[in-house]
Amino acid sequence: MAIIEIENLSKSYRVYQKREGLMAAIRGLVHREYRQVDAVRGIDLKVEQGEFVAFLGPNGAGKTTTLKLLSGVIYPSGGSCKVMGFVPWERSNEYRSRFALVMGQKNQLWWDLPSQESFRLHQQIYRIDASQFQKTLDELTELLGVRKLLGRPVRELSLGERMKMELIAALLHSPEILFLDEPTIGLDVVAQHNIQQFLRFYQEQRKITILLTSHYMKDIAALCRRVVVINDGAIKFDGSLSEVVDNFSSTRLVRLRLADGELATGIESIAEVESIELPKVTLRCQRLQVARVLTEALNRFQIEDVAVEDPPLEEVISKLFHDTRGPEQSSETAKAEVQS
Amino acid sequence: MTEGTTNPEANRPTNRLSYLRVFATFARNSLVRDMMFRANFVIEAVSSIAWSIMNVGFYWIIFEHTNSIGAQTGWGRSEFFIFMGTTWIINSLVQAFFMPNSEEFSELIRTGGLDFALLKPIDTQFLISLRKVNWSSLINLVVGAVLIGLSIYDLSHRAESPWRFEPFILILYPFYICCGVAVLYSLMICLAATSVWLGRNQTLYDFWFYITNFSRYPMEIYSRGWGLPLYFIFTFVIPVLVVVNVPARLLAQPLTPRADWEWPLAGFTIVATIASLLFSRWVFNRSLLAYRSASS
Repeated sequence: MAIIEIENLSKSYRVYQKREGLMAAIRGLVHREYRQVDAVRGIDLKVEQGEFVAFLGPNGAGKTTTLKLLSGVIYPSGGSCKVMGFVPWERSNEYRSRFALVMGQKNQLWWDLPSQESFRLHQQIYRIDASQFQKTLDELTELLGVRKLLGRPVRELSLGERMKMELIAALLHSPEILFLDEPTIGLDVVAQHNIQQFLRFYQEQRKITILLTSHYMKDIAALCRRVVVINDGAIKFDGSLSEVVDNFSSTRLVRLRLADGELATGIESIAEVESIELPKVTLRCQRLQVARVLTEALNRFQIEDVAVEDPPLEEVISKLFHDTRGPEQSSETAKAEVQS
Repeated sequence: MTEGTTNPEANRPTNRLSYLRVFATFARNSLVRDMMFRANFVIEAVSSIAWSIMNVGFYWIIFEHTNSIGAQTGWGRSEFFIFMGTTWIINSLVQAFFMPNSEEFSELIRTGGLDFALLKPIDTQFLISLRKVNWSSLINLVVGAVLIGLSIYDLSHRAESPWRFEPFILILYPFYICCGVAVLYSLMICLAATSVWLGRNQTLYDFWFYITNFSRYPMEIYSRGWGLPLYFIFTFVIPVLVVVNVPARLLAQPLTPRADWEWPLAGFTIVATIASLLFSRWVFNRSLLAYRSASS
């Protein structure tokens, strides 16, 4: 049986439609127009124990809302969901002591106190046995290299260090499922890499189930074998990352470095020009045209170096997002009726 | 809701969830934090003592003009100071244990920080209500106790019907203080919970001030004219009038004899306390249903 089973899950919000201007604001005091936002519309998904799944989607696609529904923080408008056999929004204590949610943009540690004080509180709330607690804490601080920072007030930690502490707080009770909402947001490359490595190691070792949302393609490329693309509150793709690239990108980038003094005149006749910053030129062509483009370029120009690449993942993804926006995009229509 | 649920899984922690221990840790962490800002602590102490002295002085002047609030009400100067000390004790308990948390509760609703509280395998209302302790507010408790002590000394040395100690008051008084705190807490958490529907509730403090203002004076002042509807509203609808009046009256007057309305009122206070707590729990849970978790 799948550890997470989602059926036709949906969540809509009613938001107050603000209009511009003072007069409109005054009118808004008396008569309000509401708009229904369908953040999640009928998602079906099954996740097996031990999977590392990435949720991919533009801002407002419904990724975070889905994670919040799975953590039982908000109630759905429709559909059903079982995680480890529990209905998340019933928030039974047993369910809550078996998973964790980490949010890159919200922190749960006491701001003015050293992290270890917050950890101790977790020990009590999650009823972690003292020796078990110490063992887990040692292990996690060792892995993340933050042992020395345990006694420092959280407000004095850097963003990266704080994120590591948040991760420790989330993992102290050895959750079986971990939900990560943009865990590397705002971090520099090194810190991002550290956290990626840690997550990979931890997941491989513990075989826990992880659902991750991220904007950084690198996170996803490094960690997840399975990618679920969500857009407009619905699942648009579910498969491996390489399938995403195969399915949604048919072009290649040809990067050329011209010899000194060589001008790029007429190069646009070979292929579509992506950019020219002499001596570097980047061309774009269909995959099957790569050989032809290279031959022609080598024949006509003096070239020092050549590289052929997939377009950046970000570009593939943004194309994917764009292509998966269905015609029902406009269905976020204004509904004046009020429903409670 | 579910306290200390047993865990069937073998590898799960099996320690019982102790709410008392968790609260002790909250209190300890808050103390550590308060100590870090020592200057703040000292300033609060000084300003609250100064404020208290000014208040005593103010009412001292008023009692230069009269011997009692109304005729035959039993609220002379020293009795009134017992009343005032009781107000301070109750307020300081509310401010120390619940005020910072209620304020933070509405902030957590607005910013979506409530998520983390909802994730913890512990009763959410407990977690939200007692997360922080504002230790410096307890200074007023001490000041109130001192004022009460002095007033009792004064009363027990007067010539005409001096104050007599009765052991039963040692149970009654703290019990009704707790009832009062519980009523105010319920009111406060309900006000804070409205942030879920209002999106923003900056007026929380204002409302709090308006309503609790009625509890600061002996209820006898509402016994005439326009006071009567106020008396009924703030006793039976929002029972803030019983908060201070019941314990203060029990302490300031001899236990017997009592007017025939006093013991029923004391009984009613218990009912009102339980009703307030249940109501606040209901409102709290309703607010969680409507919680939207402002997005990151």
